[in-house]
Amino acid sequence: PKRKRKENEVEQEIEETPQEKKLRLAKLYLEQLREEGEWDVDRTLFLSEILEQKGKLQRPLAGGLVAPDPIEIRLLRGHKLSVTCLCITPDEKHIFSASKDCSIIKWDVGSGKKVHKILGGRKGTEARHVGHTAHILCMAISSDGKYLATGDMNKLIMIWEAATCKHLYKFTGHKDAVSGLAFRRGTHDLYSASHDRSVKVWNVDENAYVETLFGHQDVITALDCLGRERCVTAGGRDRTLRVWKIAEETQLVFHGHEGSIDCVQLINEEHMVSGGDDGCLCVWSVGKKKPVSVVKQAHGVHGNAGLKEPCWVSSVAALHNSDTVASGSHNAMVQLWKCGQGFRGLDPLFTIPVTGFVNSLKFSTSGKFLVAGVGQEHRLGRWWRVKDAKNGLYIIPLKRQNREAETEQ
Amino acid sequence: MPRPSVCLALSTSEKKQTAQKHKPSPESPHEVTFKKSKIKSPVTKRASNVEENGSDDEGDASEMEKNFALLTQKVSLQAPQDEISGGVSDEDVTGERHQAVCSNTSGSDEDENVSKPARGHGVGDELCPKDDFTKDLSEMSFEKVLQLQNKMGTKAYKKIAYGTMKNRQTGETVKQLSKHRPQEISAKKTVPFLRKVVPVKKTILRDPRFDDLSGEFKPEVFNQTYKFINEIRQREAEMVKKKMKKVKSNIKREELKYLLQRMENQERGRQRQEQYRQKDLQFKRKQRELVQQGHRPFYLKKSDKKKLELAEKYSQLKKGGKLENFLSKKRKRNAIKDRRRMPHQKK
Repeated sequence: PKRKRKENEVEQEIEETPQEKKLRLAKLYLEQLREEGEWDVDRTLFLSEILEQKGKLQRPLAGGLVAPDPIEIRLLRGHKLSVTCLCITPDEKHIFSASKDCSIIKWDVGSGKKVHKILGGRKGTEARHVGHTAHILCMAISSDGKYLATGDMNKLIMIWEAATCKHLYKFTGHKDAVSGLAFRRGTHDLYSASHDRSVKVWNVDENAYVETLFGHQDVITALDCLGRERCVTAGGRDRTLRVWKIAEETQLVFHGHEGSIDCVQLINEEHMVSGGDDGCLCVWSVGKKKPVSVVKQAHGVHGNAGLKEPCWVSSVAALHNSDTVASGSHNAMVQLWKCGQGFRGLDPLFTIPVTGFVNSLKFSTSGKFLVAGVGQEHRLGRWWRVKDAKNGLYIIPLKRQNREAETEQ
Repeated sequence: MPRPSVCLALSTSEKKQTAQKHKPSPESPHEVTFKKSKIKSPVTKRASNVEENGSDDEGDASEMEKNFALLTQKVSLQAPQDEISGGVSDEDVTGERHQAVCSNTSGSDEDENVSKPARGHGVGDELCPKDDFTKDLSEMSFEKVLQLQNKMGTKAYKKIAYGTMKNRQTGETVKQLSKHRPQEISAKKTVPFLRKVVPVKKTILRDPRFDDLSGEFKPEVFNQTYKFINEIRQREAEMVKKKMKKVKSNIKREELKYLLQRMENQERGRQRQEQYRQKDLQFKRKQRELVQQGHRPFYLKKSDKKKLELAEKYSQLKKGGKLENFLSKKRKRNAIKDRRRMPHQKK
């Protein structure tokens, strides 16, 4: 009798239309969510809202993206040395960028002009100079666009007012270079990661240090955070990604890279993408200790014949709550990827020609453009120097083929 | 089967309550069983009867039958039952049931009553009557548990006490998930100075003689697989002989001679072992044949085995013609030994 039932079910499936099937699957999914019991059953929510709450939303935007014309890519020059990090203000009007010459420049996106420049000081002038005197490795801007935080190799974190670029506070406490900064969305909680293998939590409103978290075995190279009170850090040579649950004071450890992990970004609350110096690009899910999908030699190989080494992935970016991922290296192109269903696969979409080391990549919140911070050298050291690269920012507009309303999965 | 009166062993107040409860006679057997179990478990009734009628064996037997039937019915009816009145008061009912279950003597009744916590008789409770049962079981003394087990039969008891396989399997699936989940560790412990950067594997030392991985020692398998070593030994003995001829210094020749002696002794010992083994196998085969034919097998004592060996040895010597030689030597040796043991005569 069991086999007959299965046959009947198969027949039923063939008869129903794709819309009906979608409805049936959506209902099934809702049932599952209800069983898990994490949301209020009484409220009628859209599936996208539910998924967003749970942190599993994946808007299928990558399919509609089109490679931009090389003419449309703008290059903003102004930094003397390699650009190391950048961040886009939430209103997408300004971009902050920092470089190895210890200066911070605020750009206007529309016109491409410099709005403000915070000069960098020379090595011995820490006492009197307002600004950084060592390489700036990371920066972050709060989700309301109020505070800008920058971290440098002198173990300092500087807090600036984003609108006026006025210096506000200086956070000391790290024992080695500060390599990762992120603000928690909707708050003024700042998470910082450093080469001293610790993660520190600060409150910028009250100019206060909150706590320190330990666990990494080697230098931390990157940090990212979204709305939840947890952040993800990439440990360099210990080849682990750690998700820090700050409220519970625990960490989740993920293994999977073969070489040092250099960059990490959160795609949504449950998934992240990371790149390493083994050339691998990995997509992770919080529920699995191994990466959900891996792309080896994401940017090809370089070197003399017989000594071919994979190109290091120096930066990754992910469009929030969607399936688009971008990665940059020094093989003269920025690669855009599309994540599969449930982030289970990574397919290359198209490449954007950019010469030099792509030290930082950021998508704008709406996904209209992608900004790449490019330099002649890698942001962490001086292993190579690409002579014909220009130090600056590339603003790459992302066009879409079909302008339908975004359909949720 | 007429139901015995419930009110026998109870106090007057409780009597009234139970009498009231039983007044509306229920129609469906479904309801009957449940109400009965809730208000008065069959064990209770039995206990109450025992209290009242001291040595009523026939009564007991019929009681036990009834109770067993009721219990099995209760076990089968695990589905949620919605018809139960919510008006049943908790403490009295559970208390009296518990009191009856846990003790035969009235002395300890009050203690049980006090210790039992009140339990809600809402929907949840009715959905899982099994849970109250397990709770009761845990609170009963071992003697009572055994009695209960004897009454119910082990199968029904186990079903209630431990649950069915369906309930048990959920634990395993949860465990499988956690294998793939990332490791969750504390974030407050400082990392030690000596960090684990490269995973180093600890070499496990194992003695193959005593390790379970090596399996059991089977002499025939061992001899089969390591036959080649005997050839190596022969070759080595030949090498030693050759070297002995060549060597010039006396000391070394002595050493080599000892070594050769040792090798030859080992070889002889090994062959003897083999022979014994073969003989044992032969004997066992013979016994097996006998058994197959239908006779009973018999096993020799060690002394008998030794005698047989001796007999074989004698026959071998006889073939070679050395029997007389051997026997005379043996007699001489024995004589010397005996002479030593004899008492001395001092002149």
